[in-house]
Amino acid sequence: MKKALLSTILLLMTVLILPHIISPFMVYLSTEILVFAIFAMSLGLIMGFGGMPSLGHCAQFGLGAYTVAILSEYTANIYLLLGAAILISLCFSLVTGYIAIRNKGVFFLMITLAFTQVLFLITSRMKFWGGNDGYSASVTANFGFGEITSNIGLFYMMGFFFVLTYFLLKLFVNAPAGKVLKGMMENEGRMIALGYNPKTYKMFAYLIAGSMAGLAGGLYIYKTQFVSPALFSVHMGAEVMIMVFIGGMGTIFGPALGAGAFVFLQNYISTMTDRWPLILGLLFIAIVLLKRGGILHLIQFVSTFGLKLFKSSRNAPVDKQVKGKEQAS
Amino acid sequence: MTLLKIEDLNKSFKALHILKGVNIEVNKGERHVIIGPNGAGKTTLFNCIYGTLPLSSGKVYLAGKRIDHIPSFKRTEKGMGRTFQKNNLFEELTVEENVRLAIMGKKKYRLNMIKPMQNYNDLAEECHRLLEEWEMTERRTVLVKELSYGEQRLLEIILSLSTNPEIILLDEPTSGMSPTETSRFVKLIKKIPDHITLVIIEHDMEVVFSLANKITVLHHGTAMMTASPEEIRGNQMIQEIYFGGGALSHD
Ligand SMILES: Nc1ncnc2c1ncn2[C@@H]1O[C@H](COP(=O)(O)OP(=O)(O)OP(=O)(O)O)[C@@H](O)[C@H]1O
Ligand SMILES: [Mg+2]
Repeated sequence: MKKALLSTILLLMTVLILPHIISPFMVYLSTEILVFAIFAMSLGLIMGFGGMPSLGHCAQFGLGAYTVAILSEYTANIYLLLGAAILISLCFSLVTGYIAIRNKGVFFLMITLAFTQVLFLITSRMKFWGGNDGYSASVTANFGFGEITSNIGLFYMMGFFFVLTYFLLKLFVNAPAGKVLKGMMENEGRMIALGYNPKTYKMFAYLIAGSMAGLAGGLYIYKTQFVSPALFSVHMGAEVMIMVFIGGMGTIFGPALGAGAFVFLQNYISTMTDRWPLILGLLFIAIVLLKRGGILHLIQFVSTFGLKLFKSSRNAPVDKQVKGKEQAS
Repeated sequence: MTLLKIEDLNKSFKALHILKGVNIEVNKGERHVIIGPNGAGKTTLFNCIYGTLPLSSGKVYLAGKRIDHIPSFKRTEKGMGRTFQKNNLFEELTVEENVRLAIMGKKKYRLNMIKPMQNYNDLAEECHRLLEEWEMTERRTVLVKELSYGEQRLLEIILSLSTNPEIILLDEPTSGMSPTETSRFVKLIKKIPDHITLVIIEHDMEVVFSLANKITVLHHGTAMMTASPEEIRGNQMIQEIYFGGGALSHD
């Protein structure tokens, strides 16, 4: 609890300070990063803690986005809109989860992909809501403190939800239900022998992840003002999976880092060369081949290594001092 | 009183008929040992009793109620525990974390999504008591994958005891243990209170006769004989098959 709270406060402070020290373009870019961070963290939960690799996690994200875009014609109330986005993706998760969690590994991957493909087909045929061309919405966030129109305002808005999501996920993975989920991923047979019903915990995680992805999708519209069936494409599903991978599976913050690295590199490298997919592919292969961990694991490794060096360099003279005192007395 | 009753149990893997009409009754409080050569179907029998594998036909009763149609995790809720022939633990977690996870299986708050697991004091206390009883307190913060094989075997049993079972199925608990570990283990098993019934698959005859008050001989998928240890010792045919001929193989 203390740890979760501490890291959340640290994260909150970073979010508060960041816009004042980075360039306006980076603020603009970071808004997108924050949305994808929520999205990737939600997938990270079921992938890294539940052993459920969903290739169709973009379904819930896209549903959240479509929900806000469509309903914004009737209301501008952001609480209602985001609430609806969460509710719709939750319902979708309830139905698809019931079928999906009965499968493991590749089968889980394929079945989640199949659900997304259905949404892709439906949305691309829905002429009324733009079909293949997509659908433009004009939404402005207003939580009751005035309209959020500036880039910094949007950044803070996404930042708030990002920190909130992070905190909730942190609580979840340290609480009983989260620990059971992780145990289930590591050794399902033993968990069953201990009296746990695997389906209950997998379903819980799947629902939480689904509604968080829905929230992320809903938020996304406030930045892009546009939805299209591309949200339900394999491409989208794979991208968020890659974010989780390169960031570090089995951690909460890793996928957020992955989202950051992904969006950042995508934007920067694509201005220099159009070989972005190639570079991304190589990065991905390197991470998969080199080690199981991602960026966060690398940072952890380097920092513990550095800490050891630091400690040993400080301990040496201390040891001498102690010895000296002992001899003196 | 009969606690566990297995009635005409059959199990086939495709064309392979492994268990052929097994009938066994286990009384409450019994130390019921199942012996039989490798491949006799002992582990398969446990898997069928516990529901890890579906039966081909037959019935399993626990305390007079049929349990063969309910999922495995519910059999645990109803008071059945089991250990595995091959260690089946959470290797990346510490001993303590393993035990806590096991104890939590019967707690209502196992579905809590907010309060950190380490803040549940009852969990910590029960875990401490169990580790004390099984002389594993010193090893509580060690990662399971770093335990000796014998210690891992012991943890298997501790985990199965954590769920407050009425009956535990122990699949070759001493396999792979050193002689010292085995005798320590037998001493600890004897401390398990009588209200917990034990069904034990065992190859080590010394262990069998020091624990058992009932023995079933499983041979080619049939329960050839169920009797007291003395009768088994005195039985000519069993002697010839298992002891005289040395046919009872060890792993
Ligand atoms: N899932 C399975 N599919 C096919 N055959 C199986 C399966 N499980 C077990 N068997 C076969 O069933 C037979 C009995 O196996 P089982 O593991 O029950 O024997 P056992 O009495 O426990 O032997 P051991 O003393 O070696 O542990 C063996 O011939 C084994 O090959
Ligand atoms: Mg066996």
